[in-house]
Amino acid sequence: MSEEKDRLKARGEDVTADGERAAETEKTVLKALGLSGGIYGGAPCAVDVKNGRIIRIRPLHYDWKYNKKQFNPWKFERNGKTLEPLMKSLPSPFTLAYKKRVYSPNRIRYPLKRVDWDPKGERHPENRGKSKFKRISWEEAAEIIANEVKRIHEKYGPLAILVQGDGHGECKFVHAPHGCSSLLLDKMGGFTQQVRNPDSWEGWYWGAKHVWGPGLIGMMNPAENIVKDMTENCDMVLLWGGDPETTPWGFRGQFPSRLCYFWSEIGIKQVYICPDLNYGAAVHADKWIPILPNTDAALQLAIIYMWIKEGTYDTEYVETHTVGFDRVKAYVMGTEDGIPKTPEWASPKCGVPEWTIKALAREFASKTTSIVHYFAGGMARGPYSHEPARLEVILLGMQGLGKPGVHQSQIAYEGMPRNIIGGKGQSHMGMFQNLAKSPAAERLLKPHKVTPVAWGKQLIPKTLIHKAILNPPVTFWGTGAIETTTEDQFVKYTYPIPKEKGGTEIHMIWTDTPCRTTCWNCGNEIIESTRNSKIECVVAQHPWLENDCLFADIILPSNTTMEVDDIIPCIRQGCHFQSVLLMRQAIKPIGESKSDYEVVCEVAKKLDKYDEVTDGKTVEELIKAVFDGMGFNNYVSWEEFNEKDYYVFPVAKDWEQDPAGLIKFYEDPETNPLPTPSGKLEFYSERLAQNFPEDKERPPIPKWIEKGDTHDENLSSERAKKYPLLVMSNHPRWRVHAQCDDISWTREIPTCKVKGPDGYMYEPIWINPKDAERRGINNRDIVKVYNERGAVLGGAMVWERIMPGVISMDHGARVDSIIPGELDRGGAINTIAPSGIISKHCGGQATSGFLVEVEKVSMSQIEEWMRQYPEAFQKEYDPASGLRFNAWVEGGSQ
Amino acid sequence: MKVFVIDLSICNGCYSCQIACKDEHVSNDWTPYAKPQPDTGQFWVKILEEVRGTVPKVRVAYRPHLCMHCDEAPCIPACRRNAIYKREDGIVIIDPEKCAGHRNCIDACPYGVIYFNEDLNIAQKCTSCAHLLDNGWSKPRCADVCPTEAIKFGEESEFTDLIAGGAEVISPELGLKPRVYYLNIMKRFVAGTVYDPEQKEVVIGAICTLTDTKSGEKSTVSTDNFGDFWFRGLPEDSGYDLKIERDGRVKTFHDIRTKKDVNLGDIPLT
Repeated sequence: MSEEKDRLKARGEDVTADGERAAETEKTVLKALGLSGGIYGGAPCAVDVKNGRIIRIRPLHYDWKYNKKQFNPWKFERNGKTLEPLMKSLPSPFTLAYKKRVYSPNRIRYPLKRVDWDPKGERHPENRGKSKFKRISWEEAAEIIANEVKRIHEKYGPLAILVQGDGHGECKFVHAPHGCSSLLLDKMGGFTQQVRNPDSWEGWYWGAKHVWGPGLIGMMNPAENIVKDMTENCDMVLLWGGDPETTPWGFRGQFPSRLCYFWSEIGIKQVYICPDLNYGAAVHADKWIPILPNTDAALQLAIIYMWIKEGTYDTEYVETHTVGFDRVKAYVMGTEDGIPKTPEWASPKCGVPEWTIKALAREFASKTTSIVHYFAGGMARGPYSHEPARLEVILLGMQGLGKPGVHQSQIAYEGMPRNIIGGKGQSHMGMFQNLAKSPAAERLLKPHKVTPVAWGKQLIPKTLIHKAILNPPVTFWGTGAIETTTEDQFVKYTYPIPKEKGGTEIHMIWTDTPCRTTCWNCGNEIIESTRNSKIECVVAQHPWLENDCLFADIILPSNTTMEVDDIIPCIRQGCHFQSVLLMRQAIKPIGESKSDYEVVCEVAKKLDKYDEVTDGKTVEELIKAVFDGMGFNNYVSWEEFNEKDYYVFPVAKDWEQDPAGLIKFYEDPETNPLPTPSGKLEFYSERLAQNFPEDKERPPIPKWIEKGDTHDENLSSERAKKYPLLVMSNHPRWRVHAQCDDISWTREIPTCKVKGPDGYMYEPIWINPKDAERRGINNRDIVKVYNERGAVLGGAMVWERIMPGVISMDHGARVDSIIPGELDRGGAINTIAPSGIISKHCGGQATSGFLVEVEKVSMSQIEEWMRQYPEAFQKEYDPASGLRFNAWVEGGSQ
Repeated sequence: MKVFVIDLSICNGCYSCQIACKDEHVSNDWTPYAKPQPDTGQFWVKILEEVRGTVPKVRVAYRPHLCMHCDEAPCIPACRRNAIYKREDGIVIIDPEKCAGHRNCIDACPYGVIYFNEDLNIAQKCTSCAHLLDNGWSKPRCADVCPTEAIKFGEESEFTDLIAGGAEVISPELGLKPRVYYLNIMKRFVAGTVYDPEQKEVVIGAICTLTDTKSGEKSTVSTDNFGDFWFRGLPEDSGYDLKIERDGRVKTFHDIRTKKDVNLGDIPLT
């Protein structure tokens, strides 16, 4: 230990390049505090630690231990103005507040067991989410779980255990959440894998892939170097659904903000098309076009109509680069169904005035225009979202997709200047290919594959878990895995698989992603299914007692990135520079917590699988294996890396020569075809026609789907008489999905929580003054949002940031059931989102653009609920951080 | 002498400054500069946000609000214990060990930036992170974390041009010589969209003339390709007449008050 101290002392003498040094800092460690999960890093930060406590989290100054010149910084220029990288990272506010998350009163400090779950007697599954927990020892917890695994294996077979190991969380490599249990269960005959659907970008995955091929997870690919290209060539960008001031925060930080301001400075017009004045529109929009949620397809079709009518699209390109335009034309002009998709037709559907539709169509046609997203917000996450997604590609195709300034852009997520290790045409996963060949590959990469790849022996899409438990068998087309082929969408799967292949229904759940209820489709049905007696044991591992943890039988305390040694390559784009960090332990583990990996190791010991799970390697050896396996040793020595704790990848000298986006396809589609059957943009998909000839919900050309077998969520629906408002639900501003809802410093921000007259901090519901007035709702009132699927409470924000006819509520609020499965006080809007998948053959989630009604909740109603459901209201609650650990643990305050 | 220069045209409202201030001062004791800030309720730098206009002509104006470190700081003479002092670099500090909790400074400050800590019985506020500046930092936490560099901090001499080029202070009429300067404070706007109700088309190039009803001063813009017009930078609570003309068709509005921002909506030009 004294050696460690000496080393830190020596480091304490380092002075930053610009002469800055923290006062009285004992040690500074580096952490990637992006919260997207996985091994891609993001938001690199410096963490100052004193006397064993974190004292501050601050941006990493890249030039702390290096000279700026070594980085070969990039530069964008136009109209005599220049944008250059700053020498610091741009973390989001919740990253900067992460100390509060680490020291949250809601941290799980020791293993817990539900009080009325007895593995040797009554299990009371119906009380999941209702009854409390009590403290048990690690020894007892590991023993119980090991015995349950053995019992389930004997009784039903290994595939009766469901691994819910996907999702969003901290960025770590060795100790990461999301799938470490697969390391163990894979050695014991396998498991059933919950396959994570593309929850943020469903439309691109299930729709756009059928137009331009697989893309990068369905979005435009290649997208190399398009940021420079757009900066130099665009007249206008359409921010269609996504919010550059919200969604990037949890991933890489705030560089998109700087880029948008620079685009304004050089005269690139920014038009926002979204139901809410989102946070990007609030500060960057030259024009906000409010549109009713999930009606984008109507607007898009009317734009196509205008272009055909006025001859303002690139006819030559359409001729040479696309197939099936005639069918689109026949549908749009009404020769197919007798209904021309005019602006007059579209206006009442989408809520955009006819004159504005026409003006937008003409601006789009006459100006060099790209469409910008960060996944796409509500636009790609509603019922039938593959239709607006496909139509977007057609719009871009009709304006010469691939030519300078005409792209689809995941703002700065892709397309930033290439660094010295980024090969041309290489996607963000490319770097792991080398590691996959290294000796430690299985131990290092297998758990991380649980999120993007379907590799379990038996599979259930995450969107269908409740149906699989309650109404098996279930069938689905395509696994829905993030990384798979387009063709997989034509493969029919069934759960359970045949008995002779080990197929069985699931009877145990092991989750380290406890947010299915609040982040996926129809959380209330998940609550119902989790309480089904078929599920005999639910194990959750997580640092915080929240969301799905409350429905578990055994809870294991995992810890945060601050408490472990790890390594992380911050190699996805979106920061000023890409880097790799040696993430040293900042503080000792809180309570009895262990890393997600160590948690699994504890159980493995009881099953005599410890050596197999660890592969005989220490954490230190695994960190070194990542460093060597990914080839970082070609750029910086292990010794220097250990001394500096980070390395910044210089920008490649010749990055400016990289062809931008689809320019090669644009220039010569015959030589550079797209990865589609025809090699062209398939406005009409022959494959969809052949595989799903009867599918009216995703026909071979994209259409306006008023209603269908799967969804009836339009304002024209009969249901709208009872539920006349549409929900806009984006990724949260002050959370990353379900993460960070307990940070007292963000909860004080007016758009984060609304303090009700009862003192409870409610999740905000944005409502237009016109809709509020009709319902007698005043600003800051408690309101109930409801439909047939249940109700959630929220705090009204009555204002002009939302169009009439729509309410906006971010997803991911912490579940706080008054009646589990029916009424949620925490404001988890997804608990009442549609149960169904996107459409008949598309297993994604539809969690924006659905019908609800809203009403004011009086204090007497609250008091009535208090009388009816006293336990729900007696839980220890602190307005500053929400529900406390004690709320759910017997004797938790001791 | 140190100053803050805050460019509101690039403040994206991320609250990083407000959060980083808490990260620095909550649970951390920087005596003699400051004692710990309570976990919630105090905002030594606070983002003020205001939604301006109505659908669909809406903007949000954000402004980081903090101790102005006035050269004529009224809190200093108000303190009975002489606990508040101005450093040579212009930063105003409440000595947490001298403060006896009289709260006179809180009443004296017109900016509402001094908070009272009930537990410690002291008044507290922004220190410009002087404890860091005295240990080699060049700027306080709020400026270090600002992603767009909207918050700038340094020697007044570094910012002479910016300050001379239209920087404003809050409540200049008080004459307190604040050391926090703001660039591009959002003023009132009058906006609308002009369309032809028969053709169902926006009207592009309509001449919109706004006349100040008091001074008779006129300003003119023409509608853009979306039929939109915007008059920005208008003073608060003035009165205007607006005339919109195109091809002989005229529409007029009288007595538009800029008490609030004004969106005249979609305006049919017949």
